[in-house]
Amino acid sequence: MSNFIQLVKNEQIKLYVRKATWVMFAILALIAILGAVIVRFIDDGSLQEYGDDWREELQEENQQITQQMEEANSDEMEFSEAMNPATLERNNYHLENDIKPQGYDAWKYLYENTFLASVISLFTIIVAAGIIANEFKWGTIKLLLIRPASRLKILASKYISILVFALTLLLFLIVVSWTVGAILFGVDGLSSNAVILQLDGTYEQIDLFKETIIAYGFKMVNLVMMATFAFMISTIFRSSGMAIGLAIFLMFAGNGVVLFVSQYDWAKYILFANTDLSQYTGGSEPAIEGMTMAFSIIVLLVYYCIFLAASWWAFTKRDVAGQ
Amino acid sequence: MSNPAMQLIGLKKTIRNKPIIKGLDFNIYPGEVFGFLGPNGAGKTTTIRMMVGLMKITEGDVLIEGKSIKTDFKEAIKHVGAIVENPEMYPFMTGRKNLEHYARMIPGISKERINEVIALVGLEKPINEKVGRYSLGMRQRLGIAQALLHKPSILILDEPTNGLDPSGIREIRRYIRDLAEQENVAVIVSSHLLSEIELMCDRIGIIKNGEIIAINSVNDTMEQTELNDVYIELDNVQIGKQQLEQQFDKEVRMEKDNIILSAKKDEIPQIIKSLVSENINIYGVYVKRSSLEDKFLELIGDNTIE
Ligand SMILES: Nc1ncnc2c1ncn2[C@@H]1O[C@H](COP(=O)(O)OP(=O)(O)O)[C@@H](O)[C@H]1O
Ligand SMILES: [Mg+2]
Repeated sequence: MSNFIQLVKNEQIKLYVRKATWVMFAILALIAILGAVIVRFIDDGSLQEYGDDWREELQEENQQITQQMEEANSDEMEFSEAMNPATLERNNYHLENDIKPQGYDAWKYLYENTFLASVISLFTIIVAAGIIANEFKWGTIKLLLIRPASRLKILASKYISILVFALTLLLFLIVVSWTVGAILFGVDGLSSNAVILQLDGTYEQIDLFKETIIAYGFKMVNLVMMATFAFMISTIFRSSGMAIGLAIFLMFAGNGVVLFVSQYDWAKYILFANTDLSQYTGGSEPAIEGMTMAFSIIVLLVYYCIFLAASWWAFTKRDVAGQ
Repeated sequence: MSNPAMQLIGLKKTIRNKPIIKGLDFNIYPGEVFGFLGPNGAGKTTTIRMMVGLMKITEGDVLIEGKSIKTDFKEAIKHVGAIVENPEMYPFMTGRKNLEHYARMIPGISKERINEVIALVGLEKPINEKVGRYSLGMRQRLGIAQALLHKPSILILDEPTNGLDPSGIREIRRYIRDLAEQENVAVIVSSHLLSEIELMCDRIGIIKNGEIIAINSVNDTMEQTELNDVYIELDNVQIGKQQLEQQFDKEVRMEKDNIILSAKKDEIPQIIKSLVSENINIYGVYVKRSSLEDKFLELIGDNTIE
């Protein structure tokens, strides 16, 4: 076991000794910081703070909006036309349910940064695609495999290393997002209940902390699937370029493909019809009728096992020859 | 004789129905340097890849300290240190970081041991530089250091003299001889050039088209009964030539300050005595060990890659 930890440690060292890895962290930090700056300084009303007399404030705001909407010339105020009814609706939800609107804070910013998990997926795919292929490219695979550690163990240490890397990126994103959010927007306390626009257009109160964990969790499912896919491709073809290209292409084109063939029954067995488990939450419809969360989880598990088995076969059963 | 460190038993490799290695049988013993000699494409690297488990064995087996590399990989490989083809290391890490990386893969290698192998191959100075900046000779040395970390009883070096200048080859020869003689390591050195490994080997096996065609002890080649070209450097080649032709009934050639004649080992003292008796000054006697070289050149001449 300690032997295995040493192998994982080796992989982590090889990862972090290269500049490209640090560039990934820098890019992620930069996006998180820029995002916060944009939210902070391009005020669209979401940063509005309310005091103790928030009920009157909201009513006043509603009145103003209604007035504006009546006065507005159709072509002049396109922006507020689009925004105002939504604000109105949200305000009404607060008034009807007697929930005090919360100010924008670090937790909220963290929640909104869930989309950055795609960037983490991208970086993890790049690392997963290279972790074995590069050893072949550098020729170091030969020295790696003539040690008293089985090929399976070396494969596993590399795979675990990818997951550790993804987790590190995720923690980094969370820490940076929250910190930047705290500096620019403040912190309202952890038990924050937020009112969020649901996918079906209505508003609902949610437990922001719980929702944040769930949102990131769903993104991680997608990440693990795509990283494992890239890992398999690079193990089979021993080339990182192909694995990166294929995995990223499928990550972006996958949903389109599913949409394109969604009238067929077999479409629901396509990996990409199932990677987004959030399709079963928030009142939205699944990609294909009749699919359930349990169905998707089973399909994902089957794919996952196939990916790992194929990687295992390609890595442990084949010759390491020149050329 | 002690137990063999490594045994090849009917070793065969077929790639895509093409026989590459056609049945090798030989043993390598502790403390000996075994030269694995053959032209490019003869199958040296393929054989070495099978010895260390990088390639599957089609038929036969390799036993290392009695353990099969096929069925007992971990127990077998722990006795082996190797460089297969080029000494490739992580170019973005320093020499020391590379060694530490490989040291972590084997339990029980101390920091002192790492420093010891660095000193052994004389890399103290550049050890904290990135390997990407090393010359081929430095990488070759780092490769040897890497292979020696765990004090293996068998060291396999695939073409270690490739790309080295004569002084580099001399140095490698020194490490290898020391390891064999002082540490009792069995060393396998492959090469496609006899001249580069001849002086470091105790035995040489010649491989061609995947078959061993001869295994010679390097010392054997000076058999009592075998004829060798004897070069004698003299101050007066004319008189020397006359003297020897009269006395020994041999054909004697001249080349600059040398006379050359074909003689058996036990004839050499008489030849020298006869020259001395004529007051001819002898500056040097050199026996060209022609048999192995000739055999090898003969073989290399018609190695075809099928
Ligand atoms: N992976 C491979 N696939 C097909 N042929 C190969 C492969 N590896 C080596 N060979 C062939 O095997 C023969 C021996 O190659 P090799 O062992 O590299 O020779 P050497 O090391 O003696 O120069 C060559 O003819 C080579 O073309
Ligand atoms: Mg070779």
